[in-house]
Amino acid sequence: MSTPSGTKAQSVGPLSGAAIKDMLLAARLPIAIVVTLVLFGLVEPRVLSLGNFRNIAIQASYLAIFAMAQTMVILTRGFDLSLGYTVSLVSVAASMAMVAMGGGDASILYGIGIGILIAAVIGLANGLLIAGIGINPLVTTLGMANMVMALASTISGGFPVTGLPRGLTAEFAQGSLLSIPIPIWFAGLVYALLFLTLKATKFGRSLYIIGANPRAAVAAGIRTLPVLVLAYTLCAVLAALGALLLTARTGSGEPNLGGNLTLEAIAAAVVGGVRLSGGEGGVGAALLGALFITVLSNGMNLVQIDGYLQQICLGVIIIVSLIVNRDVARR
Amino acid sequence: MSSEQATMAPLSVAKPTEHRSSLLDRFLMQGGIVITFLIVAVVATALVEPRFLNRLNLTNVMRNFALLLIPSLAQMLVMTAGGFDLSVGAVVAISSVVTAAVMLVGSGYFPGMEIAIILLSLVAAIGVGVLVGLTNAGLVASLSLSPFMVTLAMMSVLMGIALYFTQGIPIYGVADSFITGVGRGQFLGLPIVLHVALVVLVVCIVMQRFTALGRHIYAVGSDLRSARLSGVATGRTITIAYVLAGILAALTGFLMTSRLGSGQSTIGGTLALETIAAAVIGGVSLRGGVGRAEHVALAALFLAVIANAMNLVQVDSKYQTLVLGAVLIVALAIDRLLLRKRQA
Repeated sequence: MSTPSGTKAQSVGPLSGAAIKDMLLAARLPIAIVVTLVLFGLVEPRVLSLGNFRNIAIQASYLAIFAMAQTMVILTRGFDLSLGYTVSLVSVAASMAMVAMGGGDASILYGIGIGILIAAVIGLANGLLIAGIGINPLVTTLGMANMVMALASTISGGFPVTGLPRGLTAEFAQGSLLSIPIPIWFAGLVYALLFLTLKATKFGRSLYIIGANPRAAVAAGIRTLPVLVLAYTLCAVLAALGALLLTARTGSGEPNLGGNLTLEAIAAAVVGGVRLSGGEGGVGAALLGALFITVLSNGMNLVQIDGYLQQICLGVIIIVSLIVNRDVARR
Repeated sequence: MSSEQATMAPLSVAKPTEHRSSLLDRFLMQGGIVITFLIVAVVATALVEPRFLNRLNLTNVMRNFALLLIPSLAQMLVMTAGGFDLSVGAVVAISSVVTAAVMLVGSGYFPGMEIAIILLSLVAAIGVGVLVGLTNAGLVASLSLSPFMVTLAMMSVLMGIALYFTQGIPIYGVADSFITGVGRGQFLGLPIVLHVALVVLVVCIVMQRFTALGRHIYAVGSDLRSARLSGVATGRTITIAYVLAGILAALTGFLMTSRLGSGQSTIGGTLALETIAAAVIGGVSLRGGVGRAEHVALAALFLAVIANAMNLVQVDSKYQTLVLGAVLIVALAIDRLLLRKRQA
C-alpha cells in the first residue's frame, strides 16, 4: 500500500517484485494459516502434532459447512442471520423426533428428514419474504432468528435432548471412510457440489449476477424470485446438515448449539474474501476462512487464552481482514 | 398542511408526485402505520387486561419506554446517515460496567461526595461511548468498510472486554442516591428516566428539522456522492452520527445501572434487535436518508406496550422473543405491500 502506484506498469517479467507481491497477496490466507500455526507451535508444541491437525480438520469442517451455506446468500447481497438458531432448532427437533421414534438406529433417518424439512421451511419463508415481498434480508432474517430461537428453547424447555441413537455418534461423528473422518467427507462433498453449482449451472451464475447488479439481473431476464428462494432454502438446508453433524458429535440435541454460529459463519466467509456487497467470492474462500478461524481458536485454546479474550481477538481479526481484503480488491 | 409537509420532508425524499398524494398517502407518510399499531395495542391491552391502566403499571411502561427510546434514537441517527449499529447493546453493557466501576472506586477515594462521583461516572461512561463511536466512524467513513461487519466485530470486542473484566459477575457498590434519585426517582409525577428520554427526543427532533447537521445526515444517508459533491463534509457528518449514537448508548447504560443497582456486563443482549425493530417500524429506511425521531418514539412506545401486555397476561419470555420477531416482519411486510400498492 505504501508502494507507488506505478508498480503495476512495471510488472512485465514473471519474477518482478510486483508479480511476487501479487502472488503473496493471492495466497495471503494460506500464508496466514501457516504463520498462525507456527507461532502457536512455538509456544505450545502440541499445536503442530498430527493428532491436532486431525482435530483442526474435523472442527473446521463444521464451520466450513456453515460458512459455505452463508456464502450462497451473501453472494446475492443477502444475509442469513437466522442460520445459528436454525442450527439450534434442527438439533433439538431432530433429536426429539429420534427419541420419539424409539431412539433406535432406524430412527436416525426419521430425525434427519424432520431436521431437513424444518430448515427447508425456514429457508423458504426467508426467501419468500425477501424476494417475494421485498423486505430487507437483514431485518427479515433478524426477525426470523428471534422466532426460531424462541421455538428452539420452547420445544426443548431449554434443556438438552438426550437418549439419541448410539449409531448417530458412532457413524456420523466418530466414523471414518478410507481413514478420513466422516465430517471431513461431508464438508468436502458440500464444497464440491457448491463449487460446481456456482461454476457450471445457470442458478450459480444467476447468484453472482443478482449480487453484482440486481437491476441488470432483471434486465438480463433472470427470474430473481425463484433464484433467491432457492438460495435461502439451500442455505438453511446446508445449515441443517451441519446441525445434524454437530448433534452427532455432542450426542444430544442442544438448544444453545448455534448461538455464536451466525457470527462465526459470516466472519469465516468475510475473512476468506467473500464480499458483503455481493457478487464476489466463492465457496473456496469460505472454506479457507473457516480453516483460518479454526486454526486461530484451536491455537488460542491450546495456549489457554481466556474465552472472553478470544472473543475480542475474533472481532479484531474480522476488522483487520476487512481492511486487507478491501485493499487487495482496490488494486 | 401542504406547506407544512414541504418543510417536513427532508430534501432527499421530496418526490415529484407529491402534489397528487391522496389522504391515505399522507397518513402513511406521517407515521400512520405506527400510530395505528400503537392505538390498537393500547386499546386491546386495556380491554384484555384492565390492570394495564394502573398508575403503577403505566409508570413501569414509561420507564421501559424511556430505556428503549434512547438507544433506538441512537440507532436511528446512524441508520439515517446510511449506516448501521449492531454494537448498541454492547456499548450499553460496557458503559454500565464502567459506571458502576467508577462509582465503586470513586467512593473509596472521595467518601461522602456522592453527586460528584455520580457525575464522574457519567463522564466516564460517555467517554466510552465517544471512543466507540469514533472507532466505528473511523472504520466506516475513513476506510469505507461495511457498517454491518464493523459494528458486528465491535460488538464482539466490547462484549469480550466487558465480560473479561467482570467475568460476568455484576459490580455492586453503586451509590444509594444514584438508585433512589435517578433509577427510582420521579419529577412532576413522571420517572426521571422518562424526562431524560424526552429531552433527548426533543433535541433529536430539533436537530433533524432545523439544523444543518440534521439536513447533512439525511443527505449523506440518501446519497453519499451527491452529498459530497454539494459540499457536505461527509466524513465529519458520519463521524458525528456515530459519536452521538455512542453517547446515547452510553447514557442508556448509565441509566440502566441506576435501575438495576449494579453494573452488568450481560445487559443489552437483545438491544441491537429491539432498537433496529423500533427504528424500522418507525419508518427508518435501511438504505439511509429517511427517518424521523418522533415516529421512532411512537414505535418504541408500541414495543414497550406489547412487551408489558405480554408480561401482564403472563406470556413466557421465550414467546415474547417470538412475538418481537413476528411483529418486526409483519410490520415491514405491511409497509412494503402498502408501498407497492401506492406505486402501482
